[in-house]
Amino acid sequence: MDRNQIAKWLEAPAKMANKYSLHAIYFCTGCGIIEVPPVITARWDAERFGVIPVATPRQANLFLITGYVSVKTLRPIIRTYEQMHEPKYTVGFGSCPVNGGMYWDSYNTIKHLDKYIPIDGWIAGCMPRPEAIFIAVTHLWTLIDKDMAEGYVRYRKSYRAYRRNQEMALGKLDWPPLYPVSDEPRGDEQ
Amino acid sequence: MVAKVAQIILSPILALVIGVFFLSLARKIMARFHWRYGPPLVQPVIDIIRLFYQKSVSHGQMFDLGLILSLAGSIVVVLFLPFGPICPLSGSGGLLVILYITLLAPLGMALSGGQGDNPNISIGISRKLILGLGYEVPLLLVLLAVMTRYKTISIMEVVSAQQRTGWSLTSLPLLLSGLSYLLILPAILGIRPFDVSSAPQEISSGPMVEYGGKYLALAKIEHAFALFINIALFVNLFLGGAANPLIFFVKMLVVFVLGLCINAVFPRFRIEQAIKYLWKWPALLAFLGLIVTLATRG
Amino acid sequence: MSKSLREELESTFKNIQVSILEDSRMAVTAETHSVLAILRFLKDAGFDHLSLISAVDWIEDNVFELCFILTSYMQNDDEYTDRQKLHIILKTRIPREQPQVKTAIGLFPNAEPYEREIHELFGIDFEGHPRLTPLLLERDYEIPPFRKDFDTRKYVEEVFNSIPPIEIKNK
Repeated sequence: MDRNQIAKWLEAPAKMANKYSLHAIYFCTGCGIIEVPPVITARWDAERFGVIPVATPRQANLFLITGYVSVKTLRPIIRTYEQMHEPKYTVGFGSCPVNGGMYWDSYNTIKHLDKYIPIDGWIAGCMPRPEAIFIAVTHLWTLIDKDMAEGYVRYRKSYRAYRRNQEMALGKLDWPPLYPVSDEPRGDEQ
Repeated sequence: MVAKVAQIILSPILALVIGVFFLSLARKIMARFHWRYGPPLVQPVIDIIRLFYQKSVSHGQMFDLGLILSLAGSIVVVLFLPFGPICPLSGSGGLLVILYITLLAPLGMALSGGQGDNPNISIGISRKLILGLGYEVPLLLVLLAVMTRYKTISIMEVVSAQQRTGWSLTSLPLLLSGLSYLLILPAILGIRPFDVSSAPQEISSGPMVEYGGKYLALAKIEHAFALFINIALFVNLFLGGAANPLIFFVKMLVVFVLGLCINAVFPRFRIEQAIKYLWKWPALLAFLGLIVTLATRG
Repeated sequence: MSKSLREELESTFKNIQVSILEDSRMAVTAETHSVLAILRFLKDAGFDHLSLISAVDWIEDNVFELCFILTSYMQNDDEYTDRQKLHIILKTRIPREQPQVKTAIGLFPNAEPYEREIHELFGIDFEGHPRLTPLLLERDYEIPPFRKDFDTRKYVEEVFNSIPPIEIKNK
């Protein structure tokens, strides 16, 4: 970790600070949350990396979506994601958010989570081991360094497409759009 | 004159540095208690820098101003507390002023939380203020005993009297009061077993549930100031309050590590259990200490 | 204890089949119209805890099979041993078109969520149930999803895989 390199801090303090202080919101989305308590307790210590769980989305900037996402769970996931402050990063944990995983032919789960909220990285496995979470965190650091972890920017730019997908999956949404959605098409969306 | 202005500017900065150091020391020592490594010592600084770079959502003007009021109150209290030989406003009221101005910190949070419309904030703030009610009773008795014994309300005079006659904690009339103050110190600092007001698992961090970005950074800075203020008050009144800033810092460190040891072991009290505890033995000890002080006034 | 219960059951009701699977499990197969009477009889005999109601879809025989699982709490605290804890599985078959059963809420009030779940997942109608609103699922399905003629892969293709992915425009 280059946490103590003063030159890099003076060059890009926002990036370095966002990297080394990833507070994950403690929202137990699915079955993969069983791998998170070993990560944050004494055996595999995540606090060395700067990662601690916080209780509210306002204080968080990392969202780990652990395990399968059923249609009912997708609503609080979207609402929590929209309440987090930018810059924010999401990691899909397990193979179920990637392509449906074990529940690929189920009538009630979401198969590709990337269509509904932007995901910066995936961790494959069912369930991944705690060391895989650390590898994911270090990969996320390299992505943040190279300006490639721009999920929240994508969300803002293509919000109409995301909202349309969310409405197709969930029916009528009972929260207002996060960014203004106008009726005439703009130039930089599809 | 210049020295005075320099002291007024230097004192809060020093308090902030020491407070943030205490925050990082808290995380590191608690991690070592848990047999793990813990974050590096600069981690709270990284957190605060990150929080200043994050966008935040405001709920209105009172939301912003309440937090600023709370932080301003803490900074003002620092000006009245001697840190070794540095004490900017030493002749202006001492203990009584501190008692009044320390009310601003929870009051500011309550005002700002009133506009963030989240029921968790109301629950957290009500618990915080009830806890304040709980520890104010023995605290006032202890401070009365100190003021009676040294016949002054100025903290600088208390410190210089202790440097002549020895620590208050070991002098016979104030022994009971000192013990009572030690017993309520976790409640004043807001560490376990008395951290019911900001319980992450139960009420989603209580008053800080809607703070994000720069508001959370200011709340953490205010927490750092609060740590400094409460420990420095105890060290000044009961442990001698040294003439040398370094020895003062060492004394504060000892008290803080003792508090951390208690924090590591205990679970959380419910609010009625906390009040029952605070109004029983510490209040009794403080009352007896006051009586003994009055009797030996001579 | 189980032997005499078996004899009592066989003598009281007709068209009933009792079999002891192990020493602590009994399976009772009965007809639909006598199910409530058997439940009342078993409840009076001390089996006052309804553990579960579940349903099986036998599509080849064109029937649904409802299973009620009853257990008894300890009858007598001093003499409780493992052997006295008995599970009784009461099975009954109902026709697959227009499935309709009377509700067991009058005897066991905790049957309400089980019947609600079976109604929304299998489509079995329970007469007399106060609220048969959806419990777990969010959307409407033309065929209730736990039936064997519900094609999950086709459903997934239509509903979930038809949602277009978000295209990332390169800068």
